[in-house]
Amino acid sequence: MDKTIVIENLTKTYKNNRGIQDIYLEVERGDIFGFLGPNGAGKTTAMKIMVGLMKPDKGDVKINGYSVLNEYEKAMKNVGCIIESVIPYPYMTAFENMKVCGRFYEEVNNSRIDECLELVGLFKYKNEKTKNFSLGMKQRLGIAMAILSNPQVLILDEPLNGLDVEGMVEMRNLILKMAREYKTTFFISSHLIHDIELTCNKVGILYNGRLLDVDSTDNILKNYSSLENYYLSEVDTNVGV
Amino acid sequence: MSVFKAAYINELYKISKRKKIMAASILSILAVVGAAVIVYCLNNMVGIRATGSSEFSLLVLSVLSYTLIPLFTAFVCIDIFSGEFTEQTIRLTLTRPVSRAKVFSAKVLAAASFIMANLLFIMILSTIFSFIINGTSFNLFKIFLSYILEFFPLFVFSLVVILICNITRGTTSAFMLSVLVFILFNGLEIIFPYYKSFFFTSTFDWYRLFLGSYINYYKILRCFLILSGYSIMLFGLGYYLFDKKDM
Repeated sequence: MDKTIVIENLTKTYKNNRGIQDIYLEVERGDIFGFLGPNGAGKTTAMKIMVGLMKPDKGDVKINGYSVLNEYEKAMKNVGCIIESVIPYPYMTAFENMKVCGRFYEEVNNSRIDECLELVGLFKYKNEKTKNFSLGMKQRLGIAMAILSNPQVLILDEPLNGLDVEGMVEMRNLILKMAREYKTTFFISSHLIHDIELTCNKVGILYNGRLLDVDSTDNILKNYSSLENYYLSEVDTNVGV
Repeated sequence: MSVFKAAYINELYKISKRKKIMAASILSILAVVGAAVIVYCLNNMVGIRATGSSEFSLLVLSVLSYTLIPLFTAFVCIDIFSGEFTEQTIRLTLTRPVSRAKVFSAKVLAAASFIMANLLFIMILSTIFSFIINGTSFNLFKIFLSYILEFFPLFVFSLVVILICNITRGTTSAFMLSVLVFILFNGLEIIFPYYKSFFFTSTFDWYRLFLGSYINYYKILRCFLILSGYSIMLFGLGYYLFDKKDM
């Protein structure tokens, strides 16, 4: 199989001794990988390193075979992402925000921007300044920005944050459609375990900065009644160790 | 190159979208108009000849290059660095397929473009008012040369502010520290007059070296080398901090 994301011995320790330690992970093309873990487990740290917002103490991340540390532009060429909450330029309209992001891609034009805004239900607000947007609207805009260049890889940190139920379902369907039709690879972190169960075909559990286990959702659901039970069981087993 | 161009256009676009650019333009106009009114009154009502033909533009430059222009420069640099760090909008740029070296260079170039545009705007305004006040022919080349040369020390100041933005955490602290450094360097020039030439603020009027009847090439070269040295060191250090920053 084609390995789209390879995380090798990724380590980052903060001054308070928290962080992530020796994470090794491979995600294949077309996978929807769910990154599960409690608050402070290190999910966002790992994802920030994956998209170059942070430098690791040790290790590397390769996306489509390119190192994020040494070949950043090539690695990020086909990547879209949302890290933590989406914060657009407040003094610009939704369209202008998209335009600023779109300038980095030759294939993105005004009609593609309109198409993405339509897809996330923001087309009618495209000329409104984003300082007036609600949390959910900003999140939708972030999703539109992430899919703007038709990326092969989407790294989404808590993508459902602030979305209403309708928005969550739409987002889930969009993820499933992109993975099915375009073989887009997803790396999603969330603490909404039910959504991970419904969306992801592979799950990794991060706890106290360590990756406890990686398994396919089908496999997990053969042995456990729900993803929640699997998660609790893995955490219990490893906390005791 | 296309990626760098995109980053540069984005930075200019962001600067143009901020309200500060309008405030800078209005204040520049007011400053030039105010100076013109004062000079006109002195020339025609009090009977004191305040400035000659080309001198009005140079008078405006000598006053604004120590006051409004560095202030606007600091505002813009703080907006494009500290402002984006604080608002976390920097992530929108840094998660695109563009290296930090290109983002940093694009931001510095955008700041430089703003300084040049601001200087040219004030030059055009002051030249128009020179014409209104004196109505005689004036040395356009001398005015143009002075404004172009003033770009260099202001660019060094912008790199100082950019370095401060990459050290401090917020916009207010960056602004306060920038003002403090500007005042401190000006103060040090007075306290240590023998070492004056080593402080970049002493070069804010280096264009005068080109205007006299005797041109001191040695002094010009020294100023140029000092400013170049400052630029290289500040750019390098600023980039180093920007590249290391966890966002």
